[in-house]
Amino acid sequence: MSRKLTALLLATLVLAGAMGLKTAVMAHSGSAIMMANGGAPVPQPPMANGGAPVPQPPSAQ
Amino acid sequence: MPSSLGYAIWLLATLLEVAVVVCAISRNCFGRYLCLNLYMLSSLFVSVARYGALSHFGVRSGEYWYLYYYSDAVLTIFLYLALITLYLHVFDEMKVEKYVRLAAVLLLAGTALFSYGVVHQSFQSSGKMLAGFVFELSQNLYFVGLVLTYVLWGAILKLRESRSQLIQLVLSLGVYFSAFAATFALENMFPNLQFFAYIVPIFGCLLPLAWAYAFWRLAPDARMVPARLAVVPR
Repeated sequence: MSRKLTALLLATLVLAGAMGLKTAVMAHSGSAIMMANGGAPVPQPPMANGGAPVPQPPSAQ
Repeated sequence: MPSSLGYAIWLLATLLEVAVVVCAISRNCFGRYLCLNLYMLSSLFVSVARYGALSHFGVRSGEYWYLYYYSDAVLTIFLYLALITLYLHVFDEMKVEKYVRLAAVLLLAGTALFSYGVVHQSFQSSGKMLAGFVFELSQNLYFVGLVLTYVLWGAILKLRESRSQLIQLVLSLGVYFSAFAATFALENMFPNLQFFAYIVPIFGCLLPLAWAYAFWRLAPDARMVPARLAVVPR
């Protein structure tokens, strides 16, 4: 039982760390990646799989 | 549409993916690192499908957009599974496979839940929630993979893992994720630089190159020579 709880704790810690890191990395763009409003430059997401050209992310509008 | 250089880098990345699978088969490592090789194979097929969609519909088409982001999410999940199998290789002597799998499933589910929570408010009214979720999940899994790779590297150091092929695979994955995170951060800071359009695909070549090298040059059971030996007084 304790090992299962340890697995749950580790998964939670990794998730929290990863999302914290993502927030830190995206600090200069705010939350604007998914919100392509107007003509503001949209930063391209880090698409790591393959070398195909990256299309624009979807807009919420 | 990408330039000739962009097409050349894309072709090089695809050829390197083929090289990984060929090297793994020729060195009898295909089954040992099955998820890594399946990821490379699926990446190869996705590249071919993306090229077909790009040449038929164009880079601004909806068809290409959906193919790109949906296939990217699938590939990222495959890469996540490949990373988990590296965990299983490192911890195989500790008999904790069940708990590693449990943590991996919980982490994937937690990431999906978090991604859904992020897109729920923004995309609820636009009818593009699924597309936003796929995009967000893919992004979040990159960062989860980055953290998991560093945790795995810490475990390798702590457990004094000496299998050189395994270490090469993990380290190249760490460099790969770190390079993307760094590029992403720089791109956010300097969004007008066109330089990054070529850097990202070049990084896409590095992982298959490092993995092909690991499969071709390093024997599966080869061990690193310890850098320091403990001196035991007699």
